[in-house]
Amino acid sequence: MASELDNIELRPARRRFMQGAAALATTLIAPGVLLYKTGHAQGENEANAGNKDRPAIPRWGLLIDTNALSEADVDACVSACQREHGWSSDAGSPTDAQWIRKVHLTDKQSGQQTVLPMMCQHCADPPCVDVCPTGASFKRADGIVLVNKHTCIGCRYCMMACPYKARSFIHEVLQDQLAVAPRGKGTVESCTLCVHRIDRDGANAVPACAEAVNRGERKAILFGDLNDPDSEISQRLQSHRTTRLRADLGVDPGVSYQGL
Amino acid sequence: MRYLALSALLGWFACLPAAAAEVESSGFGAVVIPQPTKPGNASACVEPVDIMRRDHMKFLLHQRDATVLEGERDSKYSLVGCMDCHNATEPTETVVRYPDPQHFCAGCHLYASVKIDCFECHADRSLKQLQQGRLDLPLENLPLEDQPGSALLSLQTFHQQLGTSGGE
Amino acid sequence: MLLAILAAVGIGAAHHMDVEGHHISGMNNQVVWGLPHVFAIFLIVAASGALNLASIASVFGKIEYKPLARFSAVLSIALLVGGLAVLLLDLGRPDRLIVAMTHYNFKSIFAWNIILYSGFIVIALAYLWLMMERRFERWSKPAGMFAFAWRLILTTGTGSIFGFLVAREAYDSALLAPMFIVMSFSFGLAVFILLLLASFKLDQRELDGIHLQRLRKLLGLFSIGILYFVMLFHLTKLYGTQNHGFERFILLDGGVYTQLFWLFQIALGTLLPLFLLYAPRWQNSPKSLVLACLLIIQGGFAQLYVIIVGGQAFPLNIFPGYHVESSFFDGVIGTYTPSLWELLLGCAGLAGALLIALLVLRVLPILPQSLPGAKD
Repeated sequence: MASELDNIELRPARRRFMQGAAALATTLIAPGVLLYKTGHAQGENEANAGNKDRPAIPRWGLLIDTNALSEADVDACVSACQREHGWSSDAGSPTDAQWIRKVHLTDKQSGQQTVLPMMCQHCADPPCVDVCPTGASFKRADGIVLVNKHTCIGCRYCMMACPYKARSFIHEVLQDQLAVAPRGKGTVESCTLCVHRIDRDGANAVPACAEAVNRGERKAILFGDLNDPDSEISQRLQSHRTTRLRADLGVDPGVSYQGL
Repeated sequence: MRYLALSALLGWFACLPAAAAEVESSGFGAVVIPQPTKPGNASACVEPVDIMRRDHMKFLLHQRDATVLEGERDSKYSLVGCMDCHNATEPTETVVRYPDPQHFCAGCHLYASVKIDCFECHADRSLKQLQQGRLDLPLENLPLEDQPGSALLSLQTFHQQLGTSGGE
Repeated sequence: MLLAILAAVGIGAAHHMDVEGHHISGMNNQVVWGLPHVFAIFLIVAASGALNLASIASVFGKIEYKPLARFSAVLSIALLVGGLAVLLLDLGRPDRLIVAMTHYNFKSIFAWNIILYSGFIVIALAYLWLMMERRFERWSKPAGMFAFAWRLILTTGTGSIFGFLVAREAYDSALLAPMFIVMSFSFGLAVFILLLLASFKLDQRELDGIHLQRLRKLLGLFSIGILYFVMLFHLTKLYGTQNHGFERFILLDGGVYTQLFWLFQIALGTLLPLFLLYAPRWQNSPKSLVLACLLIIQGGFAQLYVIIVGGQAFPLNIFPGYHVESSFFDGVIGTYTPSLWELLLGCAGLAGALLIALLVLRVLPILPQSLPGAKD
């Protein structure tokens, strides 16, 4: 008897409660959605500012010509980055950091071989930025994807999300860090596109890897402003056939490759 | 009984400062009140001393965001700038590193028991010293044999090891 | 006492990892999440499912489970706290917890999970309190519904931590969220039954057979549910030729991962418990129920290990159509050997959770004196 009465009362009460719960859930999620949309829109507005004749904010990128890079050149790139930033992978240990690495490719069908350097691709829509819980992994206004190590809690989720395995986690106490590259135990790091050089020299900056392999006019690793149609990199991208890695993912990498 | 316990507790708290002072002066596990060394080369810090004492952390916290998020590197509040003055020992002297109480920052921070984690990542000495160790010179000026520290790798060593471990 | 020691040792291990750096753990730049995360996610998923009993009572109106509702809530909170502790202690910078609580990237499912987990603790505590305060008895139903909805979202979020990762072949699937929900039902119920039987035995209370029968059937149902989702997940992936490498890895030649999958997850973790739960000659044997629960729990650990560690061990396919070699272990299966520190940390979470549950049971009136025979 009691249960019957309960059932009769239950339904309208349950309906009312479901409505209330839905309203509550919407109220809880709405600020987050609003924040995201405003943040996203703000970011887009900033990037598009001054789009009329010349973009006000650059987007830095690299064009790597694998045809012009020998294996020794790629080794030199890696070595240059190591000296510039103070990391090393000499131990060959799986916990070693690696900002840029030499990759050997062998075509499965034809056996043709290529060597190329690979680093953070500085995507326009970086998955690592999407998944970082604290926002430590972020994309600067000029397109460089960085880790704000002051905010990084070392959860390594960005490392799981990166399609290019660009990120490294620092597994041990470090000493003798260089002034231009603060790095420490428990945080995540990756190629910074030599941001300290870019902040100093702007469009004339040359990242360490590029500096190691560029000889005079022949620039095997070309750095420049992708937003500027008159920059050397934009012109070369227009006139040569280039590829981006895992273009199917739609993350719009800032690094392009020639000869792949 | 309750009042006895309460007064004992209050008495214990009251005695703490006196005990601390005694510990200091007695030299037993003595804590030295810091006298940070003032660098010889500069006339004054970027802000007056009393402001720096109170607010240096605010400047640093604000500046670090400006540097990382916006790329501002030439501000007077840059950490590299601090170290350039405050830990700029001559190359002939021994370098003072962070946890040593002689280090400018460590002196006060150890005394005040305020743990800082800046130097877990940042270089704790001046650019000049780093350059003395040749760590910051551009690539073409860097002699192969002059490579101190575990963070660096000479091209030679790199190639050697590449021969033995080249790609798994 | 043992639990307290285990918890303390584990926290010591975590501290050692924090001081030394993660190089003493087995985790590396290829497999970034390891045994601690397996433990943590198991505890979190079980926590979500442990609240099931209370929900069955409050939300679905099965009042015969009401006496067990408080214990369900307590266990749920305890397991979640244990799981969160393991997760937080494994962070590279656990001293930055305040940063994690104050800086939110709302596009990150991980950030949402942090909110969902902490919110869940608050909601479950409120629910527990409402259940215990007689004058607020009628509020326990809406609270129960809210908690039920919240934990479905929470478990969806936990599954989506992996499901939203497009880059990895092992993840990138909407199926992971409902799979985790059914896993939560199953593991949560298994842990609940085990601890219920254990605590009743410790206090020599009566537990009648009818409840056990119902719980057996539920547990069996949930196990079948997990099997369904696992099969669907792998069949779907198998259908696409691009995933054959990954599927071969898990199902055929992945070494430890293949063993864990077939032997510990499927055979011992799903099929054998189903047999024990449904076979007629063991219907009235509490021992078979206990064994089935233990098998399901170990199957859960195996499943999470395969998902979390196996999923990372399989290399990223950055250059489709090419064989890859580099000094950063591209193109090779990631190596991972759990270290003692991680095991200690994981066990600490488990021990801590059980410790909290037991302490609360001792202090507060949570368990009923005996379960009345159910009127059907």
